[in-house]
Amino acid sequence: MHSAHPGLPEFDYVKPASLAEASAFLKAHVGEARPFMGGTDTFVRMRDGFWKEKYLVDVKHLEGMQDITYDPAAGLVIGAAVNMNRVVASPLVKEHYPLLAEAAHSVASYQLRTRATIVGNICNASPAGDTTGACIAFDARLKVHGVDGFRFEPLQTFFKGPGKTVLQPGDIVVSIHFPPAPRGAQGKYIKLGRNAIGDLSIVGITVLGYPDASSSSGYRFKIALASVAPTPFVPAPAEALLAEKTITPALLEEAAQAAMDACKPIDDVRSSAVYRKAMVRNLTHKALVDVWGRLSAAAR
Amino acid sequence: MEKSDSQKIPQPVGENVQRIDALEKVTGSAVFGDDIQFGPGLLHARIKRSPHPHALIKKIDGSKALALPGVKAVVTGEGFDGYLGLYLQDRHIFATDRVRYVGDPVAGVAATTEEIAEKALDLIDVEYEVLPAVFDPEYGATPEAPLLHPDLKNYAVANFIFPKADTNISNHFRIRKGDTSSAWAQCAAVVEHKYRVPHIQHVPIETHVAVARVDDRGKITLWGSSQSPFAQRNLIAKALHISQSDVEVIAPYVGGGFGCKAGVSMEALAVAIAMKVRGRPVKLLLTREEEFHTAFVRQGVVAYFKMGCDKDGKILAMENRYYWDGGAYTEYGVNITRASGYSGTGPYRVPNVSVDSFCVYTNHPVGGPMRGFGMPEMHAGLEQCVDELAHAIKMDPAEIRLRNCVRGGDIILTGMKMHPTGLSECIQKAREAIHWDEVHPASGPNKRRGKGMAIMWKAPAMSPNAGSSAWVEMNEDGTATVGLGGQEIGQGTFTVMAQIAAGTLGIPFENVRIARPVDTDYSPYEWQTVASRLTWSMGNAVMAAAKDAKRQILEVVAEAWKENIDDLDIVNGNVISYKTEESISLQDITIYGMPRENFNGWIGGPIVGRGKFMPTYVTGLDPETGQGERSVVHYTTGAQAVEVEVDLETGRVEVIKAVAAFDVGKAINPKLVKAQMEGGLVQGLSTAFFETLRLKDGVVINPSFVDYRIATSSDAPADIESIIVETAQDDGPFGARGIGEHSLVPTVPAVANAIYAATGVRVGAPPFSAEKVFLALMEAGLVKGV
Repeated sequence: MHSAHPGLPEFDYVKPASLAEASAFLKAHVGEARPFMGGTDTFVRMRDGFWKEKYLVDVKHLEGMQDITYDPAAGLVIGAAVNMNRVVASPLVKEHYPLLAEAAHSVASYQLRTRATIVGNICNASPAGDTTGACIAFDARLKVHGVDGFRFEPLQTFFKGPGKTVLQPGDIVVSIHFPPAPRGAQGKYIKLGRNAIGDLSIVGITVLGYPDASSSSGYRFKIALASVAPTPFVPAPAEALLAEKTITPALLEEAAQAAMDACKPIDDVRSSAVYRKAMVRNLTHKALVDVWGRLSAAAR
Repeated sequence: MEKSDSQKIPQPVGENVQRIDALEKVTGSAVFGDDIQFGPGLLHARIKRSPHPHALIKKIDGSKALALPGVKAVVTGEGFDGYLGLYLQDRHIFATDRVRYVGDPVAGVAATTEEIAEKALDLIDVEYEVLPAVFDPEYGATPEAPLLHPDLKNYAVANFIFPKADTNISNHFRIRKGDTSSAWAQCAAVVEHKYRVPHIQHVPIETHVAVARVDDRGKITLWGSSQSPFAQRNLIAKALHISQSDVEVIAPYVGGGFGCKAGVSMEALAVAIAMKVRGRPVKLLLTREEEFHTAFVRQGVVAYFKMGCDKDGKILAMENRYYWDGGAYTEYGVNITRASGYSGTGPYRVPNVSVDSFCVYTNHPVGGPMRGFGMPEMHAGLEQCVDELAHAIKMDPAEIRLRNCVRGGDIILTGMKMHPTGLSECIQKAREAIHWDEVHPASGPNKRRGKGMAIMWKAPAMSPNAGSSAWVEMNEDGTATVGLGGQEIGQGTFTVMAQIAAGTLGIPFENVRIARPVDTDYSPYEWQTVASRLTWSMGNAVMAAAKDAKRQILEVVAEAWKENIDDLDIVNGNVISYKTEESISLQDITIYGMPRENFNGWIGGPIVGRGKFMPTYVTGLDPETGQGERSVVHYTTGAQAVEVEVDLETGRVEVIKAVAAFDVGKAINPKLVKAQMEGGLVQGLSTAFFETLRLKDGVVINPSFVDYRIATSSDAPADIESIIVETAQDDGPFGARGIGEHSLVPTVPAVANAIYAATGVRVGAPPFSAEKVFLALMEAGLVKGV
């Protein structure tokens, strides 16, 4: 029987004055220090005894961490410490990336969303992350500050396994950068939890579609699936079908089937693999029908 | 002036007065167990628990823990040889020679901080010899199963519980009525099923908390979140071989009980530890995870049903068997077994009955009382089988219930004559409210709609001599303070008692106070806050106390006025004479009395009324046949109906509308009655769709709200209708019966029957998670598989 501690274990709270100082401290205390943002997962894991960090390095206040900016040419930048309720409420996000606001709104509860962050959600590298799919669909990149200065990490290669990423000791993600959303894009996030709110996803289905003259179908679809693989999963065969063949109701079904066939989910305490597979097919289909309905209505 | 009719219901009985505790609850000033401050001398306790479901304890060494700075005591079962238990004394305070579930307490630590106490646990060495375990009650009942309580035959036990020596069966309750074997041949339809209802947890928002202090002459004071201050006083005193009068239990407001804070669970641990650090208060507060691992659970059950009816839908026979997964200790669970036995046919008139209800020891968490006390688990399968009988003979499922449901004067399964009850009216009202005969279209092509109904009964399950007492003390200004020992656990009992006292005395509701917190040194005796019995039993005691106070007051005034007491009454806080139309305020006279004429001395004195109630009319039952004159005090009955929409894409079931109709005898406070009806329904839906304590090899694998899901307000149906039916109860105050638990009982089968009506698929035992429903639809070929 694993029983959580009644309170948090002892740790030191470190508040560096600059990113350089923060990265240097983290690099000097490998395995003992961790960057700290909302704490919605950190505190739980420390109380459970799974994380035993001696230092939490608070980076919320550092430059750019709290900003949301938008530029029509460069796109959207969300600071790593911007909480999800701000993302949900941001007029910039709602206007240009409504799919991201929809996904962020599905996370946990209002109370938790005042602390939880998109970047934190990504850095936890949980396959169940609700916002990760939208970030992948929009081709977002992470701006990382390490001991050697700034660099960008694309999300496609960021995840290495449950809880594992390419980040190295000393790395701090400072912001997430979204290129301008494709013209005419329509998106849908469907979260299937066990009850109406507050649950982790049994599956999470992200679909983004937009007109694209370079593909045979005239459209491009981005699909990302949560909770069906060790990392956020892109069912490439389904995306390919929707790019290559003329889009019909039958093709949407075929693509949903392809998404199901591409993933190999597992049995766990939240769901059986069989149910997950069926839900990938049914809900990918539902999301595709919804997105395609709006795309074709816009084309008329 | 007219003399009031004594049969008339006096104000404010039957009125929606505001809760007496509303202001302090909404402002946060109400005091709960964890709020009480004990100053810097407070010690914190943590408990070392068994990691094994079944093992012998070979050695416990606490010396390293005791050496840790800040640790004041390390306590084991040594020196605590007594037994705890409400109906069957089968549990030591600490496990001594053997552990029987994962989480069984083996040692406790008191330290200056919680962190040090927690650290000390790792320094306690316990050596075990692991034994084979029992995780299934049916297997546990067989002779092949390892024996978990070799001493069962020596345990002290209540005279209505029947353990079987040298087995794991700690109670076997039987009903034998009529002749089932010859009845089957006369049946037009027979239905037979097995259901496995899972364990669930009570999940009160406030986890268990207890603070104990032992003074230098050995007197124990215990503060805790408790439904049972008096039972705790009694059981802890017995386990420690000390006098009940040397134990004082102080019980502040309770942040949700649902049964898990009844009897004794972790409180005795705090007491035992405090005995080793005399003079210092010791606090034990369970984490949420500990609550999931170690607090009372609602027992799982494996239930077999066989029932048959003739072509007109008349139920001719039932043969039901229940194997209760009582867990490691069944001190309380044995009576759940009994309750489901003597109510084992559900609310039906059945001429031929055979019921066997077994309580079986397993190496699972300890089963305890939970809202419904066996009835929700039993009705879950039973009410689906009745539905199937109706479909088998092509009868409307509401109609078969109307034809067979118990009515006043019926002889029920135990041979008891049923009192007047409005169950058929409940069925009719629920049927009308849900628009039973209308067909509503589904909201989309992948949705299916359907309606289902289930009915229920439940009696207060308790010792037949469970008593209540109360006092009503008058104050200088004519207000009254009511002393009682039942607990306000959110259900509104303090408000209802104030209404009963005000109405009986003849004073305004605003003029009544409740003496709290309940303190066993100062409050009058109350058995426990369980069984939906307070409105009825404590209400009778409060009513008697208020009547006694009123009589004393009127005697004084009669003497002062030289009038006949029968011509006097108390109305709105004034004593009035129907004869002379004279009137005098209660102010001053209820403490200082009244002067005689010509300053010739005084009459009267401080008024304290007292009252008690105990149902002395309940009789024993024959151990072989379960037959007797009066098995229970009474039954509350009712019906629920729901309309659901099943999503064929996901299996998710949405409740469009839910209706409930219960016969409460008399609603003392209709708004609070409806709050119970709604709250129970939503908790029922939570158990119908989400809740399961997942046990793997005896270990709870979902010990937090991350994976133990409960219904939120977002999961509750937008449309809930609660209907009060009132068929007066002859032994209840103003005709009232309890309603605290009943609204949870029929919800699961009502939902199951609605899912069947929508899809033609039976999903069996709860929870009806989206996954389970989808997989059942898949198996039935209604949706595409993978």
